Amino acid sequence: MSALKRKRGGKGPGGKAKKVKLVENGNKPQTTEMEQNKEITVPPPVDITTWTNWRNKERVLVFSSRGINFRTRHLMQDLRTMMPHTKADTKMDRKDKLFVINEVCEIKNCNKCLFFEAKKKQDLYMWVANVPHGPSAKFLVQNVHTLAELKMTGNCLKGSRPLLSFDPQFDTEPHYALLKELFIQTFSTPQYHPRSQPFVDHVFTFTITDNRIWFRNYQIIEEDASMVEIGPRFVLNLIKIFQGSFGGPTLFENPHFESPNTHRRVIRMATASRLREKQMVKELQKLKRTENKEAVTRDVTDDVFATPAEERPVHIELEAPAAKVVKKNKHKAFKRQRKQNR
Amino acid sequence: MRAVDSCKRKLRIGTFDYFGAGVSPEDIFGVLFTDDNSFSCEPLHVSTDFMVFGPQNHCLYPIILVNNTMDIIEDDEQLGETSEQDSELSDGELQDAFAKGLLKPGLNFTTQEPKKIVNNVEGLKQCLADFRKNTLPWIERLDMVNLPADDIVAKSEGRLDNKASEDINPDDDFQREMFFYRQAQEAVLEAMPRLLKLKIATKRPEDYFAEMAKSDQQMQKIRKKLITKQIMMEKSEKAKKLREQRKYGKKVQVEVIQKRQREKKAMMSSVKRYQKGMTDKLDFLEGDQKTAKGGAPAKGGAPAKGGAGKGSGGQTPDKKAMNKKGPNAKRKYKDQRFGFGGKKSGTKWNTKDSHNDVSGFRAKVAHGKGGKGGKGGKAGPGGRGPAKGGAKRLGKNARKKMKGRS
Repeated sequence: MSALKRKRGGKGPGGKAKKVKLVENGNKPQTTEMEQNKEITVPPPVDITTWTNWRNKERVLVFSSRGINFRTRHLMQDLRTMMPHTKADTKMDRKDKLFVINEVCEIKNCNKCLFFEAKKKQDLYMWVANVPHGPSAKFLVQNVHTLAELKMTGNCLKGSRPLLSFDPQFDTEPHYALLKELFIQTFSTPQYHPRSQPFVDHVFTFTITDNRIWFRNYQIIEEDASMVEIGPRFVLNLIKIFQGSFGGPTLFENPHFESPNTHRRVIRMATASRLREKQMVKELQKLKRTENKEAVTRDVTDDVFATPAEERPVHIELEAPAAKVVKKNKHKAFKRQRKQNR
Repeated sequence: MRAVDSCKRKLRIGTFDYFGAGVSPEDIFGVLFTDDNSFSCEPLHVSTDFMVFGPQNHCLYPIILVNNTMDIIEDDEQLGETSEQDSELSDGELQDAFAKGLLKPGLNFTTQEPKKIVNNVEGLKQCLADFRKNTLPWIERLDMVNLPADDIVAKSEGRLDNKASEDINPDDDFQREMFFYRQAQEAVLEAMPRLLKLKIATKRPEDYFAEMAKSDQQMQKIRKKLITKQIMMEKSEKAKKLREQRKYGKKVQVEVIQKRQREKKAMMSSVKRYQKGMTDKLDFLEGDQKTAKGGAPAKGGAPAKGGAGKGSGGQTPDKKAMNKKGPNAKRKYKDQRFGFGGKKSGTKWNTKDSHNDVSGFRAKVAHGKGGKGGKGGKAGPGGRGPAKGGAKRLGKNARKKMKGRS
């Protein structure tokens, strides 16, 4: 922030050409440039009537409970960067019940809320709620990748308005339709928001696969739709949808949802059962070994080689056998001669 | 007899119509059957004790057990409900249930009802209707619903283009991410004309400097990482190629050496045979002669001591070919003699290797074949010099004599 007090819309200390905002009625910027050169205090470069066009007053409160880790913190920061219509708040104590959040939102004058809850320092849950009366949904967040990851090579204007893209599956089921509406109202930046940029240069995609909602953020490089990922990215696993904000009757429960505790338990039990099986097998083997085995008196294979021949009397030789006479073959031709004759 | 069964608290003895006559629900009594097909009836205490007769107790007929109705499920759900006395399902109710026909004869088991998953469709629709902001024009929301764009790669390969999101395998990372990418592409392609109509730009002008979501520092880091990745890839490619080349080169070298060794072996064996007198033909030299004739004059000329003119004269037959083969033979000889500080001492030793090395053996020179005719004719004008170098080398004493004479 500059130390000099700057008049709204006035020249900064640099004095260079400021950003020219695109205006609906585009004849204004020309006159303001000329005036900038003459006077010190200049009128705002944008037609002030356009500021009142900001009608869609959506404000989202983004905050978390205690016990979140660095990744969640960065994710929250990234969401605040991407969405200029967000506000932050301090961490909520775990002692407070969830409906306290409604009051916090009211104080901050927000009508939507993104609340991140971390349990056991491992699992991250996200609440998306329309605060005063509307529906709310709880998700389990997985596979979080933040803006700061070096594999996310795209970049976009801070506060530019996103294009939201949904999977056609969102229109098929009523609970998905409700979620779609909730996402649209929460994630889309209102037009003419004071902190927004007028260009549309990135896309949020929501896709349903494997009973989960996958979120991606892409930068639009060219008009022919070549893209690069900016981030962040995460996967939402729906748990429940409530009729009220952070409470109220359950409208929908996800049958495919398996709580992370159950998941870990299943894995542990699988390993435990494998171990137990091994132990059982070992014990069985031990038992078998210590069992009284019946002594086999007769060998079944005894008479396999029994050949029915009569016995010969044992003859012991007392004299050494006569030496064999070895005659050397003197009539073998020499090697060379043999080769020649070959 | 006491019941020993896992869901003992839920078992009851019911009535059944064995006799064919209608047994009124009020007359509850258990019928005990024995193996010899006789039976006796006796009233039972319909209280916490109940008896279970089943096939395992060597009874002929199983006793009817009451099926679980919804009331009992609620008992199950209230954990800690183990005492039978608190069970809500009284026998009177059982009797009523049987009379109404809710219970059927046969062995009935308690079953857990499947957990109810809340899916309040009406409620959801109502909520959506209340919640939806219908006054918002599209420009405020900028939402699209679209299938992914055509997958050019898959189409070119002829694979089936799976458009719906159910088709993709979530574990196949590449396919999944490509699906998301294409979905975003399709959204952009559809939205562009709409945005243009509403005069919203998607491209910012060149001089529009504004804060970006990622700082310049971050982008520099990313750029560096990409560059290093690229360099590493190139290096690995180069290394691979080099390895391949070396392998190939090694193969070729090995083959050449082997060929040479084979030829040498053949030559030596044929020479030995001749020497030992096994063969009296010198056919094996034929092959040598043809090559030697072309090469010998050049070879004869080159080793001449400092004879520059002779060297050039000797080269005339295939000068161009010789020129192609790298450094001149003359040059090579001079390098060998005077290069790198000149001749070293100890280069001529009679070691095993030097004794076994017959690379200096020139069959033609040894036998004086083809040298006398060719050399004499060609190098005639050269005088005594070539005669000295080209013909067969005389013995030490003869040379001494010659030296003395010249």
